[in-house]
Amino acid sequence: MDLNYAPEDRAFREATRRWFQANTPKVEPKTLAERKAWHRTMYDAGYVGMLWPKEYGGRGATPMQQAIVQDEMARAEAPPPINGLGIGFIGPTIIVHGTEAQKQRYLQKMLTAEEIWCQLYSEPNAGSDLAGLKTRAEDAGDDFFVISGQKIWTSSGPIADWGILLARTDSKVPKHKGISCFLFNMRQPGVDVRPLKQITGSSLFSEVFMTGARAEKSDLIGKLNGGWEIAQTTLGYERGANSLGRVTRYLTAFHHLVRMVKELKRNGKALIDDPVVRAKLGKIFTELEVQRYAALRVLSALSKGEPISAASSITKLSYTEFEKRFFELGVEILGPWGQLMPGSPDDVVEEMSTSSGEPGTFATAYLWSRAGTIYSGSSEIQKNVIGERVLGLPKEVRADRMKG
Amino acid sequence: MDFAFTSDQQLLKSSARAFLDERCKPAAVRLLWEDARGASDAMWKEMAQLGWLGLALPEAHGGSDLGMVETALLLEELGRASYPGPYLPTMLVATAINRVGTDAQKGRWLPAVSSGSARGAVALLDGELSWSPEAITTRASSAGTGWKLSGTKPFVAWAHLADVLLVPARGAEGTTVFLVDPASPGIKQTPVTGMDLATRWVNLTLDGVPVGLDAVLGGLGKGQGVLESMLRMGAVGAAAEMLGAGRRCLDMAVEYAKVREQFGQPIGSFQAIRHKCAEMLLEVENTHAAVYYAAWALDAGADDADLAASVAKAYAGDASRKVCGEAIQVHGGIGFTWEYDLHLYFKRAKALEVQYGDADYHRELITRRVTA
Ligand SMILES: Cc1cc2nc3c(=O)[nH]c(=O)nc-3n(C[C@H](O)[C@H](O)[C@H](O)COP(=O)(O)OP(=O)(O)OC[C@H]3O[C@@H](n4cnc5c(N)ncnc54)[C@H](O)[C@@H]3O)c2cc1C
Repeated sequence: MDLNYAPEDRAFREATRRWFQANTPKVEPKTLAERKAWHRTMYDAGYVGMLWPKEYGGRGATPMQQAIVQDEMARAEAPPPINGLGIGFIGPTIIVHGTEAQKQRYLQKMLTAEEIWCQLYSEPNAGSDLAGLKTRAEDAGDDFFVISGQKIWTSSGPIADWGILLARTDSKVPKHKGISCFLFNMRQPGVDVRPLKQITGSSLFSEVFMTGARAEKSDLIGKLNGGWEIAQTTLGYERGANSLGRVTRYLTAFHHLVRMVKELKRNGKALIDDPVVRAKLGKIFTELEVQRYAALRVLSALSKGEPISAASSITKLSYTEFEKRFFELGVEILGPWGQLMPGSPDDVVEEMSTSSGEPGTFATAYLWSRAGTIYSGSSEIQKNVIGERVLGLPKEVRADRMKG
Repeated sequence: MDFAFTSDQQLLKSSARAFLDERCKPAAVRLLWEDARGASDAMWKEMAQLGWLGLALPEAHGGSDLGMVETALLLEELGRASYPGPYLPTMLVATAINRVGTDAQKGRWLPAVSSGSARGAVALLDGELSWSPEAITTRASSAGTGWKLSGTKPFVAWAHLADVLLVPARGAEGTTVFLVDPASPGIKQTPVTGMDLATRWVNLTLDGVPVGLDAVLGGLGKGQGVLESMLRMGAVGAAAEMLGAGRRCLDMAVEYAKVREQFGQPIGSFQAIRHKCAEMLLEVENTHAAVYYAAWALDAGADDADLAASVAKAYAGDASRKVCGEAIQVHGGIGFTWEYDLHLYFKRAKALEVQYGDADYHRELITRRVTA
């Protein structure tokens, strides 16, 4: 056990810190074009696609270096890169399962954010039970499939050029066995993206209607009807860690809270002098710090190439549930001030940050904190996974399993 | 960055588990619950032979020169067994002597602790029931070349078995820590019964207890620093024991949920039970991270070692209470019986919560530090 950072990691951190100090834009990029430009600057400096192999334009870095970059980005309060879904897990999925032609066609432009990607998995009637999806891909004989159906909750849908799509290619076999995975062009006739307004007031996710749209056969990922296995690996990447950066964002928010608590008064005295407030701060900081230790533990395992598979459900459950408690407490301590929303218009924020929410107030962060325990496998689903796969508890009796 | 145990550390842990599974079975713990003194001398000797008592003491004094991580590993296993005895207080006394004691004090006590012939107790709480070293009210009034100590020290764990008592007191020079012979005149010991019979508490009253210059530990008026570092180590140690108690309860709950059937199926297949077990695991794993981070930070002399110790103690207290309590819930009626072993760990965790600074105390330390 040695929790010191290795000398090369410290040196890497120093260099990264200097770069972000020097280059982080003073004015928050607002339009998509501005955000793409900032993304490009980071990419050119080698800070995007850290874990991607060099041959596909990535840095081929270690998990520790990747975590350090995210951590320094959070420390500098730098705007995040865009195309998070693409770079975080769609790209890696193509790297693992894609053909050489697919890699050549898609990876570079994904990394540079010349093309924005979204994830077309969830449907109105297939959320947690994703395998129940109904969008159909019919073999049109020639070189393409015809796609018809509806997706929902699609993040970045309105700005996406491409999507990773799960669709049913065989409806006669058990539900997991008839699904295929496609790379799907969002900019074509027959694709209709309708923004959905979220509880935060912004419209970062959307509905996607596909009627007679086209997916090329050359854009099938993996085997026909082998999409479920691929979805499992993509979910696996999505559950991977933004470990240190997330904690640093919480820490930044905590320091904002402390500043406010020192300034604000209630019952004629500063909040910071109220023993109840002090106890709450101590309790939530305890939890925050434990998130940091747990993140180091995960990083240590990742660095050694240990499989963290099902155990990553513990991490996801832990930080998303913590995040809710953290912002609930912040808003509670702040009282009426905790309710304030920023006046910023929706369309300026294309990407969400799961750790501190949209830039702005505790209120937005508080609202955002309700999302993390729903997407990427809800808390209840994570607990099922932990119970069955980590603790070895018996599977529940489920109607769909009884049908076989 | 390596959060995993070395192979030596793993070996220590598994051999401790094997020893305690054999020698400190629940039945053995129960016998000691009934015992007037509450601990086994034979087991203490065996622990000395295994090298546990000198684990973190210098080789020159019969120890193994290891650190807090190893001590925490052992304490986790001891907590898992609900081991009854003064392991942690003895380690605190010995560590303090090793850190700030005179050569004579080291020579007198360290080999004796390593070999299993001396035990210690720490009288950290004062009559005011404050954990804060500044709040000590026990007096040290000078008398000739020495002092006379007077005051009340409630809830001293295992004082009745101690060969040396560590007693802080306030005098003209400020707060000083004294090594006191429990057989000194003026000391009265009153046993107090808590819910965990594997933790024996004694209320001490000191009425003009004479001590000489050789009893001063770490310098006159230097007590605050000695106490703070002892509280830190005690906090991490207690957190490690609570982790062990929690893990034991989690294991028992999961095993039970696999075999107990109701409504024609194992109760573990009900989400209400499965999700509870998943939440318990989450708490245990987070506690693991907190305990070993803090133990490492103490060994490494990290800047945040004091913060980490408070975090570990505050977190482990809440987490282990929840985990041990939920294990009872998972078991239903059987979990509420005296015969079933769960309450050994449930009570052990609770007894540790109030030692070496309770969660309120540590949270205030944390708040003070992070809002400064
Ligand atoms: C902000 C946000 C962004 C998103 N972005 C995307 C995206 O880009 N692409 C995409 O495809 N999807 C996206 N999603 C959708 C997300 O993956 C789904 O919302 C999620 O899978 C849950 O599905 P559902 O909404 O249909 O809820 P349901 O599955 O209907 O769940 C409702 C409730 O029932 C519980 N439940 C369901 N099944 C079980 C079970 N077996 N045991 C116990 N409890 C159960 C759930 O935990 C939940 O509490 C996003 C969601 C949010 C909130």
